[in-house]
Amino acid sequence: MAETFPINIWINEERYQALQKAGLANLLKEELAGMKVLIIPCNKAQREKVLKLFPTAKYDKATTKSIELLPKAVKDKIYTLAVKRKTLNVMDEFIKEVEKR
Amino acid sequence: MELKGHGGKPLVERVITDKAEAKKKIQGLKQVPANRQMATEAIGIAYGFFSPIEGFMKRADVETTCKKMQLADGTVWSIPIVYDMSDKEIAKYGIKAGESVCLTYDGNPLAIFDIEEIYSYDKESIAQDVYGTKEEKHPGVARTYAYQDKFLGGKITLVNEPKVREPFTPYFLTPRQHRLKFAEKNWQRIVAHQTRNVPHSGHEWLMKHAFIATHGELPVEDMETMGKAISGVLVNCIVGEKRAGDYIDEAIVLTQDELRKSGYFREDIHMVSMTFWDMRYAGPREAVHHSIIRTNLGLTHHMFGRDHAGVGTYYHSYEAHHLLMSIPKEKLSITPIYVLEWAYCPHCGEVTCIGLCGHWKELQKFSGTKIRSIIMDEVKPTRLIFRPEVFDVVTATAKKYGFGSPFVGEEYLAKAKPAFTIEPL
Repeated sequence: MAETFPINIWINEERYQALQKAGLANLLKEELAGMKVLIIPCNKAQREKVLKLFPTAKYDKATTKSIELLPKAVKDKIYTLAVKRKTLNVMDEFIKEVEKR
Repeated sequence: MELKGHGGKPLVERVITDKAEAKKKIQGLKQVPANRQMATEAIGIAYGFFSPIEGFMKRADVETTCKKMQLADGTVWSIPIVYDMSDKEIAKYGIKAGESVCLTYDGNPLAIFDIEEIYSYDKESIAQDVYGTKEEKHPGVARTYAYQDKFLGGKITLVNEPKVREPFTPYFLTPRQHRLKFAEKNWQRIVAHQTRNVPHSGHEWLMKHAFIATHGELPVEDMETMGKAISGVLVNCIVGEKRAGDYIDEAIVLTQDELRKSGYFREDIHMVSMTFWDMRYAGPREAVHHSIIRTNLGLTHHMFGRDHAGVGTYYHSYEAHHLLMSIPKEKLSITPIYVLEWAYCPHCGEVTCIGLCGHWKELQKFSGTKIRSIIMDEVKPTRLIFRPEVFDVVTATAKKYGFGSPFVGEEYLAKAKPAFTIEPL
């Protein structure tokens, strides 16, 4: 299986309900005593583009092995897109949208 | 009363507190502005945080620090404390070895610097010896390469004490003041928790683990009465240069204090203070440096967890433990307390030590990065992993001090007031 470099989006109660409606609640993972997290997969090329587009972000290879420190507004957009498309595979579309601007 | 510091040597205290005397001493001296790091380290030297060092290092001390992890006199020492200057600045101020100058900060007199030696030293060699790498992406190496080409060595005497701003004022204590506090509390054993983090429950349990290990064979009976503790935890927050994405210092100090205020630690066993120091991220060597500072504060024990003061993947998770174990007890008097991680176990329904819990495959490990990610997403963490009162302080400090964020951003870097200022003498 190809290696992925995920983006973790942490979910509050309000978003949990929205994800249930979108039929995505089953894709949530539970971590840290019941915290819910939506894990958006990225491949290597997508990871590189995300890190280039958002310089504050970092790939944490030492501990979480995920893309971290993305601004909340950016993660909100990824979350909204995932709910709208009812899939976690939204990074190509998201990156294209950002690059268009 | 003379106090003993690191290496069994007298605690350094080179501070002139009498303003009239200070003014007289600096009369006629050249005034040389110090940058923030140099001013911070001059203050640290003068108060004795870096005892037995009495000033910025001369070449011989840098050489032995790098090559043998000791000062020229054989005292264990792991990180060079140097004052850098360019040839241009040296010429501009007409500085010569053998003369004294008055260092200034914020345009006001700070310290007398008795310059004994002006020298150069190979910065790549410092990087390799201290950090184990010459890669500039290591922040400690980058700091080393950013030094100017000449170093000035000699004694420092503080002539003007820093004014520490709120909310830090009650947390800044000199080594002597730390010891007075410990005596007031009647603490016989004190364990240091080194931090630059807002505490999650994993940190809280590390401290509790370290407290129990430190108290050890001492009697417990009196502790049934509040106020009778004879051992304590000192949370010593490192306040210094910030990088984008770090927690703001105000959040670190105030959340750590909240753990006691909200009763997660008893009033009589927990205390928070801060030390001015720019993290070098030197991993094992920084662990030794932290041991030295905390010895000077009067602590008896120091907690060391996984990847202490490391960065990226430069150091093995327990490399700091190995280095500390290699130093004879008579050379480093503070007792290290080595701790394993604590994690959340869904099977046990509690936070537990990974060295104790048998539900190995179910453990959900804490990660500072994950917790930051949760806070950045503005999701309130569950109370088992992050105390709600601590979360409230994070939110409050973000509003009050962080321009809306508990993390250092461009606005904080540009606009936040420095933790200390030097007022006119």
